Amino acid sequence: MERAASGITRKFVLLAIGRLPEELGRSWFDKCFRGLDRPLRMAFRRRPGISGLQGATAARAQYKTLGEDVAKVRTEQMTEQLATFKKSLEDFAQKYKNDIKKQPAFRAQFHEMCAKCGVDPLASNKGFWAELLGIGDFYYELGVQIVEACLATRPHNGGLIDLQDLRALVAKKRRTAKEPVTEDDCIRAIGKLKALGSGFEIFTVGSRRLVRSVPTELNRDHNEILEMAQGKGFVTAAEVQAQKGWPPGRVEDALETLLREGLAMIDDGDPDGQRRFWFPCSSGDGNLSIEGQLGEGPIR
Amino acid sequence: MLLLEAQLSESGRPILQPGEIECQLIDSTDIDLEQETKPPYWNPLLGGIVSLTTHRIIWIERTRKKEPVQSRAFAIPHPAVHALEPPKKGGLKSLFGKQAVKLRIVVGIRKDGALATRDAASAVRVVMVFRNLDSNSDAFVTRFQEVLEAKAWTVIPPTSALPGRAHPGSEPSFSGRQDGSQPSRAFTTAHAGVSGILKREEAQAKQADETLQEAFGDLNALMSKAKDMVALAERIRMRLAGSSGGTGGGTDEGEGSRQEMQDLLLSVGIASPVTRENAGALYHQQLSRQLSDFVGPLLVKSNGMMALVDVYCFFNRARGTELISPDDLLQACRLWERVNAPVRLRRFESGVLIVQARGHSDEAIFAQLAQLVKTPDGTHFGISASDAARALGLPPALAKEELLAAEYRGLLCRDDGADGLRFYHNFFLELDSLQEAAAGQQQ
Repeated sequence: MERAASGITRKFVLLAIGRLPEELGRSWFDKCFRGLDRPLRMAFRRRPGISGLQGATAARAQYKTLGEDVAKVRTEQMTEQLATFKKSLEDFAQKYKNDIKKQPAFRAQFHEMCAKCGVDPLASNKGFWAELLGIGDFYYELGVQIVEACLATRPHNGGLIDLQDLRALVAKKRRTAKEPVTEDDCIRAIGKLKALGSGFEIFTVGSRRLVRSVPTELNRDHNEILEMAQGKGFVTAAEVQAQKGWPPGRVEDALETLLREGLAMIDDGDPDGQRRFWFPCSSGDGNLSIEGQLGEGPIR
Repeated sequence: MLLLEAQLSESGRPILQPGEIECQLIDSTDIDLEQETKPPYWNPLLGGIVSLTTHRIIWIERTRKKEPVQSRAFAIPHPAVHALEPPKKGGLKSLFGKQAVKLRIVVGIRKDGALATRDAASAVRVVMVFRNLDSNSDAFVTRFQEVLEAKAWTVIPPTSALPGRAHPGSEPSFSGRQDGSQPSRAFTTAHAGVSGILKREEAQAKQADETLQEAFGDLNALMSKAKDMVALAERIRMRLAGSSGGTGGGTDEGEGSRQEMQDLLLSVGIASPVTRENAGALYHQQLSRQLSDFVGPLLVKSNGMMALVDVYCFFNRARGTELISPDDLLQACRLWERVNAPVRLRRFESGVLIVQARGHSDEAIFAQLAQLVKTPDGTHFGISASDAARALGLPPALAKEELLAAEYRGLLCRDDGADGLRFYHNFFLELDSLQEAAAGQQQ
């Protein structure tokens, strides 16, 4: 009983003083409550019986609601402050861009603030010249944001993203910028990345435009498909999609690439009408390994 | 040596202390003592790069291309600087063509002849000679004076050793009320109990509001309060991160992964990005070094290989507002070989550019491939790109690149048949050596 009660009280107080660092809070708590605990214990001792228990329960509940209220109000306040902070930072990033650049020491601090509040310091306006000639920071900034969005979503989509979705992600990130980001802007920004090699590109699948951010050389989807084809020697698009749960564009792109690389062959002649992708070059039973296990060899 | 040794990174960039920020770079600079009889341990420092930071002035030896030896670096900490004697302008000499500009720095030394950051026994003049006449030495001197006035080294950076690791809602140092790490206030009943906690909460929220309003009045106000604001931002972030985990409301998945990205980038932020303004003619070379230092740890996390586009994004994000263009990035990568960087740029047949650790050599992969073609299956049927991909755990397209590279080296031989391109062990090399051996025996 005593233990439970002091446990609850302790929990409440820890909740309320949550803003203290944990170790600090704990030592502080212990210091104060070594004193408070004793009277509490005495109180329980003095009031045995049902009424005592009920009273303790009620008190406990009250403490708890109070604690929750405090925490809630505080979180709300913080959220509000963060919003103000963000807004001001965004304004400053735009208004004083060049002044900030000139002060190395302050620039570092400004970046830190932006990063901590989740503000994107890249928010140049497109402006007339950028629109007309494609010069200025706008398209470069957009390029960085586009790559970033691709990187962030890569675990979910394997480096393939619909241009529309990409635009939406980037636009959300740039919400302060006055002009909206269009798909055309995205295409131009991606065009600026050409110098960095050909891995990053836009291509069309059906009526959709997809952006590929992983170059073929680093794409592990192909490995997974090869792995799937181990047993039978072939896969179909539907099989891959069912087994891996990839979005349709991703499956097609991977199979197309394997075809183009000369690793797969198409067979449309199957009675079920599904196109099969054969992998004749892989030694069917997969016994080829560095350890050099003996095997029967591929069936040809 | 009178000057202090300074640490350099692997690529030859100065390693800065916490809170230290690089302000200006200038090349072809000598540092010498201005006195007739120089102490025996003194060697003049010739033709190096000088980096002016908020805390020190660092002279870096010029790297020689042929020697992979780490260059040396020496520093004069700003607290040791007593005065600057800027170059005289408009003298008679300036009429006869340009002269190397000399900047004299008066530094304090101790009795034993070492640099003294305080309680100097005497002072000597160190002279810096800017040999490169095109470099902007005036800007350098001005910047030097500014930095000395700012006295950034007197400020101890708060928790900068472990950014983002600060305790959730640690005592609000931004209020200037308490800077100690322990809550030292005496325990009184006024602070105790529920009402005490509530009161304190309220006061704190109010104070944060006020600070916010003051700081964002104009740019100067924000600059003077920058340190406090960083602390406040950290505090709010930690607090909200903690509470949103409990209530689980508001943040969707996309937001979450973005936050992760943000954290990732925060942890690798570059406080002193090399820019055209601070590096001038040294821009690409220094950028190349900085990039190499930056990419190294990233490569470790991503299996020793990264697409150049990804590097572009990470690097620019770490630089904050100091964006570089794709062309500049490419140029910086191309200089890696010249600056002896531990990373290299690689171009695939397809035109894809990737960054690779130099230690991540093809040799290891070639050895594996050579082993693979000697297995029973490999000898009979050869290996295809997909075989190699599975055996080595590489993406097929990359495996194909490696096979082609191994073929180019003469390790493998191709058979371009009906069932695709397959590779076999190259016996021709051994034939040659057999013939040579036979010829040797005959003689």
